[in-house]
Amino acid sequence: MPISAADPLLDVTGLSTGYGKIRVLTGVDLTVRAGEVVALLGPNGAGKTTLLRAVSGLLPWQGRVHFDGRDLAGAGPRETVKCGLAHVVEGHRVFTQLSVLDNLLLAAYDLPRGERAARVEEVLALFPEIAAKRHERAAWLSGGQQQILAVAQGLVRRPRLLMLDEPSAGLSPVLVDRVLVVVQRLREAGTAVLLVEQLIEKALALADRVYALARGSIVLEAKTSEADLPQRLEQAYMTGGSR
Amino acid sequence: MDTKITKTVSELRPAGANAPAPASAFATALPFLALLVIGIAFPLFGGGYWGVIATRACVYWVLVSGLNLVVGFAGQIAIGWVALLTLGAYTTSVLAAGNVLPALPPYLALAIAALVGAIFGLIVGLPALRLRTFYFAITTLGFATIVTQVALAWQSVTGGGVGVPGPIFPEPFSSQWGFYYFCFGLAAICTWMTANIAASRFGRALTAIRDAEVAAEASGIAKPALLGTVFLFSGAVAAVAGGLFASLQSYITPDAFTLDLSVLFFIAILIGGRSSILGPLLGTILLTVLPEFAAPLVAWSTFLYAVLLLVIVLAIPGGIAEMLDFKNRRPLESDRAIVPRPELVARLLDTAPDAGTLTLDQVALSFGGVRAIDGLDMEIRPGQVHGLIGPNGSGKTTTLNVISGYYAPQHGAVRLNGAALPALTRHQRAHMRIARTFQTPRIVGSASVLENVMIGGTIYGRATFVESLLSLPRHRRDEAMLRKTAMLALESVGLERLAAVRADRLQHAELRFIEIARGLMLRPSFLLLDEPAAGLSAEEIARLSTLLLAIARAGTGVLLVEHHPDLIFDICHHITVLNLGKTLAAGTPAEIRSHREVVNAYLGG
Amino acid sequence: MVTSIILSGTAMGCIYALIAVTYNVMFSASRVFSFTAGTLGMIGGVLGSLFIARMGLPVFVGFLLALAGGALLGIVTEIVAVRPVLKSLDQHLYVLSTLALALMIQQFTAIEWSTEPQPFPRLFDIARVEFDQQYWLPMLACAGVIVGLELLYRHTLIGHAFLAIAEDNYAARALGLPERQLRMTSFALAGVIGSLAGFAGGEMLLAFFANAPMLTFYGFVPVALGGMGNNRGAVVAGLLLGLFQQTANFLVGGIFASVAVFTVFIIVLLARPEGLVGSALQRRV
Repeated sequence: MPISAADPLLDVTGLSTGYGKIRVLTGVDLTVRAGEVVALLGPNGAGKTTLLRAVSGLLPWQGRVHFDGRDLAGAGPRETVKCGLAHVVEGHRVFTQLSVLDNLLLAAYDLPRGERAARVEEVLALFPEIAAKRHERAAWLSGGQQQILAVAQGLVRRPRLLMLDEPSAGLSPVLVDRVLVVVQRLREAGTAVLLVEQLIEKALALADRVYALARGSIVLEAKTSEADLPQRLEQAYMTGGSR
Repeated sequence: MDTKITKTVSELRPAGANAPAPASAFATALPFLALLVIGIAFPLFGGGYWGVIATRACVYWVLVSGLNLVVGFAGQIAIGWVALLTLGAYTTSVLAAGNVLPALPPYLALAIAALVGAIFGLIVGLPALRLRTFYFAITTLGFATIVTQVALAWQSVTGGGVGVPGPIFPEPFSSQWGFYYFCFGLAAICTWMTANIAASRFGRALTAIRDAEVAAEASGIAKPALLGTVFLFSGAVAAVAGGLFASLQSYITPDAFTLDLSVLFFIAILIGGRSSILGPLLGTILLTVLPEFAAPLVAWSTFLYAVLLLVIVLAIPGGIAEMLDFKNRRPLESDRAIVPRPELVARLLDTAPDAGTLTLDQVALSFGGVRAIDGLDMEIRPGQVHGLIGPNGSGKTTTLNVISGYYAPQHGAVRLNGAALPALTRHQRAHMRIARTFQTPRIVGSASVLENVMIGGTIYGRATFVESLLSLPRHRRDEAMLRKTAMLALESVGLERLAAVRADRLQHAELRFIEIARGLMLRPSFLLLDEPAAGLSAEEIARLSTLLLAIARAGTGVLLVEHHPDLIFDICHHITVLNLGKTLAAGTPAEIRSHREVVNAYLGG
Repeated sequence: MVTSIILSGTAMGCIYALIAVTYNVMFSASRVFSFTAGTLGMIGGVLGSLFIARMGLPVFVGFLLALAGGALLGIVTEIVAVRPVLKSLDQHLYVLSTLALALMIQQFTAIEWSTEPQPFPRLFDIARVEFDQQYWLPMLACAGVIVGLELLYRHTLIGHAFLAIAEDNYAARALGLPERQLRMTSFALAGVIGSLAGFAGGEMLLAFFANAPMLTFYGFVPVALGGMGNNRGAVVAGLLLGLFQQTANFLVGGIFASVAVFTVFIIVLLARPEGLVGSALQRRV
């Protein structure tokens, strides 16, 4: 069912999930509109990665998740990718034994054979630094280049929403900026981005809206243009949102 | 109003008085007594053929009872145990027949076979300490094949393919029913002995090694010694079964000891269920008797056993024991609250000696190229709660792992009262009264809550394995002591009402408190906690706070690795903030809270 | 005499190596070892004898059917014994479920086929020579599988997908790769390789249900020595094993040869539990 321009692209309501007996998220509400960049912030252990895993189908969940008008109940990662939702996981994990080109071709696994090469070229055109190394094994790339490759993998299927989990982790400041420039370009191209980040200032500089997650639920939702945002965030973090 | 009344009532009731009687002793003994009666009366209504089957079941159970400790309790996948049966059978037969030495009396031959079995049990079993599960299983299979082939080839001693006659036991055990009672008696003794071990600190330690090895180490349980003892016992008992088997068969050849037999033993235990005596006993009887009900079944018996094994693994991993566990089917209260009783903590810990201060002295550790800890100095004093906080990857958990002996510092040292702690000796920390909990609770799911807590006090038991085997007075004193202390620990943390419940039925928060109770069993000088508040509600965190403060007041030094600001700022006397393996700041909560750099580190600026 | 030892040793070594590869392919796809690897080898021989000798089908047809039977058994292994236990918390259940399945297949074969070794047909109707087809068929099969796997893993998308699943299952799933399908296909492939081992080695091993436990053990030795999941190591170790075994057979006789192999195996494994090539496992707390 197609959605109107007013409806959010990603609509999460009352999401709860966990690992075995440990309940991590209890009743999370979150939306992302088409073409906007939303930052998801929060202290360690709050459940940010868990939230992304639930939305992309890597983890079972309870609640309601709608994407592009579709109900994602019971969908696994393969289905969510087909719907236009890409998840770039934490830790710039690429397949080290394969070349850059083969890493990208794998991302195109479900596409018809004829289209695969073309899509991969399309994505490589956006990232000249790894295009130059297309036949090298991913193991030989630097951390930052691997992160860019991981993001490129996410883009092969032309997603409408790209979820990035801490793309700056383990990277030097220079490389971090390189990666975040990519996010900027995506926004300009009309792709929505849900960005989980530890580097608050940089995330706020890029994002349109921000959510803060602490102890399993959303404790703050605001536009990044609001004036007292930094203080409100600090408050939400340090007190755990319960006071 | 209500809470006031409740509190008064609980003050009236003396602590420690609610220890559940050893699992309602009569109810547990009843099935065994029933089997005992049936077994004794069997000759009255069983014919000659069924007498052979019954004797065979007794002989098999003698072996399986010992193997049960290895497979069911310790969780070692020893598939090829028929090798010990073969060894025992041939040793007894050859010694009794006089092929090599002058003929020995059968009882002596049996005793020597037990000794040989013990030694080989140890040889077959010890690779388990070094090898992964599947590898170990394969080696036991290989061993079983080797033994049979040696029996075939060593013609001068074993008669090769022709075989040897089995031993004949003297009156009154030479008749069919006489021999039956002999085997039955031995089977009953084995049941009693292994049941004693199951209800001892050794049995609990075995299940801890199987299901929560890290926690077992932290409680001071030494895996090699314990497994070695169990392999010795199991091998001896299997060899005795071999001698009886040879006598039952009257004549043995190598092809009597097939892999099918090994499979039967192994599957009987798994069908019966792990950590159970009754289950595998019923399983052995079932598997011995089942093929006898229809002639075609005999040929298909191993196929049937395999089908049963598959069904059990996929559908009821707990086996017969789980099916018979009625008391754990009763629903639990749904609104359970954990209500610690801090006043009891002082009683529990009153014998904790003052061990001085625990210090980290310029500790450094790298993994690959990353400096996980980079020159850390820290001091944990008795009677204080010391918080250790920092962003992800700052080295908090690594530090805790260094103190508890899982990693060795590459520079610097961890010192207890000035003396450096030996590196990589995690199972000795318990002896130094350093206890810890884990990020994910490490619990033996199939054991009761009380048994899980009793595991924490394993090193305070005095009875030896043999004393437990025979239920001698010192064993019974140990059990009473451990039980009483564990109940006191459970009451201190507020979980005494759940003492008899299977631990895997509990909620996550309750498991965290159980880990603390287990740690308290050591009467620790230092208690190290790894993110105990994760997954707890605000109410539960408040209760955890009172508990931890009580533990510190009683004289224990508490190290609290945490994320949650509430817990840290409320109860810590002193806080160290780590970032990228170095101390970013250290001081009182008030100092840390307003420290600009700490706030930035948390917010990731 | 020496030639005979070298030929039979290399041939047996190739069979062991193929079973080791079967173990490895299953392991790469699921991180578990399956007891059914040796049983697949046995089935290859039994099916070959059944279709060609007993039912009189043409050699090529019997060959394809035997491989299809292996693929089918591989898939059954995945569905019945591996997939259900991957989800559970107890990691070691796979040992029991695959053991149960292997036993079921072995026993069924013993009862329905025969408890005695049955002859395996001569596949090519040419005269016996020293370098006979019973020796070069397993060698050809082994070489073919190794080359085929290299091509698969290096140059095909599905081969890359297998490598991805083996290296980082989590990232592969997040990328949208069809993890379950790929695992089933891996197990089918493993089934084909195992069956091929038994078929190519049929003349040497005969069609005998008791080949299953023998191959289960001797097929695992190269895996243990060569390192888990390492196919090249497995082939080298398999060849060494075959040659060692045949030499020992000749020098001291069959029984003591087995004892010798087993003793060497245990000693090497205890000295280096990760194999001669593999890397040490890390502990996580």
